[in-house]
Amino acid sequence: MNGSGIEVTKDLTIPKLFLSQCKRYGKNKVAMREKEFGIWIPFTWQDYYDNVKYLSLGMVSLGLKNGDKVSMIGDNRPEGLWAEIAAMCAGAIGVWLFQDCMMDEVKYIIDHSDTAFFVGETQEEVDKALSIKDECPKLKWIIWDDPKGMRNYHQDFLISIKKVQELGKELDQKEPDLFEKTINEGHGDDICLLFYTSGTTALPKGALLSHWNMLTMGKNLMAVDPCYDTDDFVSYLPFAWIGEQMMSISCGLQVGYTLNFPEEPDTAQQNIREVGPHVMFAPPRLYEGMTRQVQVKHMDATWIKRMIYNFATKVGYKVANLKFEKQPVPLHWKFLNWLAYITMQKKLKDHLGMSRLRYCYTGGAAMGPDHFRFFHALGVNLKQIYGQTEIGGISIVHRDGDVKFDTVGTAIPETEVKITEEGEIISKSPSVFQGYYKNEEATRKTLVDGWLYSGDRGFIDEDGHLVVFDRTKDVMTLNDGRPFAPQYLETRLKFSPFVQESWVIGDSREYVTTVMCIDYAVVGKWADDKKLNYTSYPELSQKTEVYDLIQKQIEEANKDLPGPAKIHKFVNLYKVFDADDEELTRTSKLRRAFVEKRYKDIVDALYVDVDLVHMDTTITYEDGREQRIKTDLHIRRVNV
Amino acid sequence: MSSVWLPCGDYHQNYVEDQGWWQSKFIKGKMILLLAIVFIGIPSLAVSPEGEYWVSVATMVGYTAMGALGVQLLIGFAGLLTLGHAAFIAVGAYTSTMLVLQFPWPQFIVDWGLAYPISIVAAGVAAGLWSVLFGLPSARVKGFYLILTTMGAQFITVDFVLTQYVSQIGGRGQAFSLPPGTIKIGPWVIESDVQIYYVMAVLLTLMVIVLANLIRSKPGRAWVAIRDNDIAAEALGINIVWYKLLSFFVAGFMAGVAGSFWVCNTAALSPEHFPWFLSLWLVGVILIGGVGSIQGAIFGSIFMVVIMELLQMAAIPIADYYPQVLFSFAYIKDMAFGLAICAFLIYEPNGLAYRWWQAKNYFNLWPFSY
Repeated sequence: MNGSGIEVTKDLTIPKLFLSQCKRYGKNKVAMREKEFGIWIPFTWQDYYDNVKYLSLGMVSLGLKNGDKVSMIGDNRPEGLWAEIAAMCAGAIGVWLFQDCMMDEVKYIIDHSDTAFFVGETQEEVDKALSIKDECPKLKWIIWDDPKGMRNYHQDFLISIKKVQELGKELDQKEPDLFEKTINEGHGDDICLLFYTSGTTALPKGALLSHWNMLTMGKNLMAVDPCYDTDDFVSYLPFAWIGEQMMSISCGLQVGYTLNFPEEPDTAQQNIREVGPHVMFAPPRLYEGMTRQVQVKHMDATWIKRMIYNFATKVGYKVANLKFEKQPVPLHWKFLNWLAYITMQKKLKDHLGMSRLRYCYTGGAAMGPDHFRFFHALGVNLKQIYGQTEIGGISIVHRDGDVKFDTVGTAIPETEVKITEEGEIISKSPSVFQGYYKNEEATRKTLVDGWLYSGDRGFIDEDGHLVVFDRTKDVMTLNDGRPFAPQYLETRLKFSPFVQESWVIGDSREYVTTVMCIDYAVVGKWADDKKLNYTSYPELSQKTEVYDLIQKQIEEANKDLPGPAKIHKFVNLYKVFDADDEELTRTSKLRRAFVEKRYKDIVDALYVDVDLVHMDTTITYEDGREQRIKTDLHIRRVNV
Repeated sequence: MSSVWLPCGDYHQNYVEDQGWWQSKFIKGKMILLLAIVFIGIPSLAVSPEGEYWVSVATMVGYTAMGALGVQLLIGFAGLLTLGHAAFIAVGAYTSTMLVLQFPWPQFIVDWGLAYPISIVAAGVAAGLWSVLFGLPSARVKGFYLILTTMGAQFITVDFVLTQYVSQIGGRGQAFSLPPGTIKIGPWVIESDVQIYYVMAVLLTLMVIVLANLIRSKPGRAWVAIRDNDIAAEALGINIVWYKLLSFFVAGFMAGVAGSFWVCNTAALSPEHFPWFLSLWLVGVILIGGVGSIQGAIFGSIFMVVIMELLQMAAIPIADYYPQVLFSFAYIKDMAFGLAICAFLIYEPNGLAYRWWQAKNYFNLWPFSY
């Protein structure tokens, strides 16, 4: 059972749930809002229903059949969600692409998934589709929703979303029952989504998820952390990320909370503050960004504001640590914490859009303990989620009051998690996926007797929490056999507001070194204040003063580190790691093997006695253009 | 986007909410407190003669603010520089006086005390139309030249029409005397300081409401567009002549009401109450208060009137040693006015309203500075 009063059974599908929720709320409740022209324009459940219905029927009249694939690309907006639900209502399967996908990724996914319908947002997405149309013969229709720039496009396979909905209305007049009839034919075991995983290696694989998978996952998460239909949620992370699907569709439809779409991706942070969501799920990068922003603004604040902030964070950290250790908070600390709350935390949470937040999750990559502590010291209930696309997004989560920042928590209901003898994490739940699309071999490897083999290593600690801990990825050894944990070091370094990315090297080497990517905005502002001239990121990153600054950050981090983990040398990279250069995955995980190969010159130079390394590479812009970069990078030795 | 700082989780789904007044609970509480001070707090000071004096000072603040609001509308919102506002206040005052003293009202209007209230509206209309007449040049000229045409309004109206002709009506010579009991609103005869204060408070509140509503609706947006760039505004389809004249009418109307109010605060009406210096003074008030903000007009009025009162109070003890101070106090006042304007233009050209905004932001941005 869930908020809607509908039991999740094998017979239930997402469209059926959608239908009953629309009937239940109708015109009386807002299903979603989109910020446009300065206000949050509401759409009721009735509007939601009408839009989906006509879009779905329209696509049917254009020839969409049961089991066809509908690919979608674009920013988060109501039309995107309508298209997805409309496709499901027609018995088709939705495929989401990241809006910043490169052309060859788009082509690969469209072609591999046998996409028949492509739904893009603007001219940009339509252009992407047009340029691959000839190479993807199965692609029949390209649908767009924003008319800007579309005036001179006259291809006969191009059609606007409005036009499709008009076709849908015509079909509805001819066959009034068709829409609901098609929905009622659906079954929970039917496939509803095809998800291309952004693997850290090789080509993306398409994971097939059924209605049953998605719905049970949502149900089980809501059993742990119930949400209510009066809640607000802000949908701004790519729909192509399972986490967003999980919150917007699986949980959103079951609970019936209101989805809010930001005006533009750039305004998301500000829009979140306006809405003040009750629940939030984001990758660590976002929280890291928030922390950095707070630290920088704090540094620039006036004296009295800084003092009060310092006092409040000190109290917050103390109380948070007591809670982490599960010790009672003494009365005087409670009082001080209340004082910290009214003088600082309340207002700071307001700035971050976290005043109404009940649950706040991070997942998708590792998050450092410093960041975790930072949010708990503010009184934000930040919890780790662990899961993967193949299990509907989530299998493990922290429980309220039982948060340990080196673990990912315990399994959600109906989910079993075990560790194999080799130390691999395997799990079993109703949400385990149906297999990879057109990839029998990978399916066989991943799915054995209903157990999902994650490929991640880990163990279960004394409290029953799962610790994801990869010996091959998370622990490296120096050539004298002493171990260190690169990911831990990286998150540690990233807690400095001046550092955006870091990459720790040292496996089978004499000592640990790191490649740092400075935060352009923060370091830039710092340089402005110091009256340092610079014109670009590469130039700024190579300034002696910036090196001094970064060196100070590293020395600060070195103080608390054990001997073998101390960083001996570093280099400031001339750019930030980027998914477009394949250095990160689309979910912002560092692809170690790739960067190791790509920056071989730097790595080698860090372990010989030189002060300068010459780089000569090409970088790729989002539109596919390439530029050759020739530059000299300084190598700085840190006092250990 | 809403122009006020809203707490997280407070958002708008339509423009009615977005442009609404008193958007957060905090603002609501603040405004209710303000109204309580204006309508209950200040009048309750009048229990002692000392307090009564401060009530009359508050009345002067209100009178200045009424005039300054009109100047604020013309200069601050519509960008029409004016130096002749006293003329329209004078038109209002004379219209009201003439109607109360000379007009053959039916007996029941007099009995029910409606003559003065009706004359307030009539004074507004007359001053508004008079203002439109002198606003006509604004269709052709702007900036410095417009200042001169509005000064023309001052000299034509006050020094010529009112002094030479209107004041002669009834053969009284220079001034119209207003015998006690002349000004009646309904059953109340307006004679005590507190009663006068209440008339001011009600009229000023109504004026602020009207002006604030105009500013947040279509005319207000048109005025601001004309102020910022009249050519661009015209290109956007705004009828700039119409909106300029409308702003002259509204400003004139408010000046007329202010003048009409002045009638109940004086025993005899003379053109000397509306010198050109008053027009200049009102511009100074909005410069100090902050151009382009309604609060600015009120802050400026409070600042100027209260500073002058304090100067006067300081002058009395000093006069024991330098008797000259009392005789040349009028010049000291002018000097203080000049000094205040110079100081503000140098140190806070955005006026007191900006300081107020900064003070609010100091707490809104807590614990940061931006």
